[in-house]
Amino acid sequence: MTHPPARPWWPHVRAALVAAHVLAVGVAALPAPEGGMNRAAWADPTVQAELDAWAGRLRSLGLPVERAALEDHLWVVGRTWTQARAALLRPLRPYYRGAGTNQSWRMFVAPHRFPARLVLSVREDGAWRDVYVERDPQRRWMGRQLDHDRFRSAIFRYSWPGYGRAWAELGQWLALRAARDFPRASHLRLRFARQRSPSPAEVRAGVEPPVRFLRAQEVELASLREGDG
Amino acid sequence: MKAWRAWVALLDRREEGTSLALFRVAIGLCVLGTVGTVVGHGLVEVLWVDRAHGGYRSLGEGSWLVALAGGPTPAVIWGLVAVSLAGGALLVAGLAARLGALLALQGVLALTWVNGHAGGSYDDLLTNALWLLVLASSDRTLSLSCRLRTGRWRSDDPVPAWPRWLAVLQLVLMYASSGSQKLSSTWVPGGDFSALYYILQQPTWQRFDMRWVAPLFPLTQAATALTWAWEISSPLLLLAFWARLGPSPATGLRGWLRRLDLRRPFALVGVPMHLGTLLVMNVGPFSALSLCFYLCLWHPDEWHAAARRLRALRRGRPATPPAPATASRPGSTARPGA
Repeated sequence: MTHPPARPWWPHVRAALVAAHVLAVGVAALPAPEGGMNRAAWADPTVQAELDAWAGRLRSLGLPVERAALEDHLWVVGRTWTQARAALLRPLRPYYRGAGTNQSWRMFVAPHRFPARLVLSVREDGAWRDVYVERDPQRRWMGRQLDHDRFRSAIFRYSWPGYGRAWAELGQWLALRAARDFPRASHLRLRFARQRSPSPAEVRAGVEPPVRFLRAQEVELASLREGDG
Repeated sequence: MKAWRAWVALLDRREEGTSLALFRVAIGLCVLGTVGTVVGHGLVEVLWVDRAHGGYRSLGEGSWLVALAGGPTPAVIWGLVAVSLAGGALLVAGLAARLGALLALQGVLALTWVNGHAGGSYDDLLTNALWLLVLASSDRTLSLSCRLRTGRWRSDDPVPAWPRWLAVLQLVLMYASSGSQKLSSTWVPGGDFSALYYILQQPTWQRFDMRWVAPLFPLTQAATALTWAWEISSPLLLLAFWARLGPSPATGLRGWLRRLDLRRPFALVGVPMHLGTLLVMNVGPFSALSLCFYLCLWHPDEWHAAARRLRALRRGRPATPPAPATASRPGSTARPGA
């Protein structure tokens, strides 16, 4: 003999809650260029190369596409969709935040063709010396911390526009450590070395694309030592 | 109404808790690893504490929990680290697993939101897994709680099957969403499929210099095409579950899909892809976390069968067929693989 369930309403409530979860995570997983809607970031050579490639491809298909018009059109479409999606998700935000069910899967949507490498240098007796270069096994000052995946993520962001304050604060934080670790140093310099990734043919031919430095900041160390005092 | 009744009935299905228990242990280890490496690298007060107290940047009040506790100060952040690690340990041990998952979830959420610059999609993957473990009955077997309750480490008590299905859905959503956003001309058909080659050249995520892959460019092109096609087509995996949820023996499309078993090709691409990523790239716990979800692809009966085969292999004898234990359990599905 089967007994009726103690709470006959529960299977229905559970089914409704699971359906709501499926709906919430499904909607949140809809693609969106969130985080990429920064017009200054679109000026990056990687993004520009991508737009060039798509304009060329569409033209090769016989579509009369102008490069600048394509960029403007994509900006409008991206912004409209991002705003519409944000409005759709707004009532569900408490669920995403409280239950950790956010769906942010914009992973390697495009390779960074002009990646930047963090370079830290100290100035000793008037000459600059590199003490940390990202992924260089010989120059690893603070590497134990800076090479951790969470710091990699932060450093990657700071090579893009829009992170000026955090980038400056990172400089101050590193300068305090440089003042302690390099007693003869007068300055710490932070900058990114941007270099186009060589194509397979260029690697085979030994061609090294030129390096350009960006977002340089110098921090004077003497005053920090005085502060230690 | 018929569809609703079918949905209600589907969510009433139960199975042994082995798959969810394995998922619980693996996610618990990921919590310990994710928070533990930050502790081990001396980064807790660098990344998650406000600049005013020694951190590298101004963090504001942080998440609601951090704000409620008084802001991102060393005492608050270390407290949250302890809560997260305790939650992870409870999950691994299988003691009060729902509470452990809730502690780890709220701890990890609070810590990772406090500095949104220092994290990635792996944080979302981890918190999604933890929420499913809050909802699931994951410590009925292979747990300290089972040992205390029954005197044995293993139990065949049935648990709701739907949290395991939600874990599979989560995996599919992640791949499908990621694949559909890979719109670069280097990913999609018609382009040169150079995406993986150039991603491997990005210093941010490299473990070591990757120029040595240049002579293997055609292989990276094939891997790019395969990755993109596999991610885009990942929703097909749900068909494998649809086929297994139907009546047995299955005929027609269901029968064909059961024989095809899309889980195998899915895992044959996914597992090596994540292991390869783990080997050459440092993308935090992302690969390990993704692989945890694969544990939910298989029904507990299939895990038991695999364990029997392994034991038999070790003894050099053929595996003994399983006893028909699940068929008579009220509310259980006797169909393996669903």
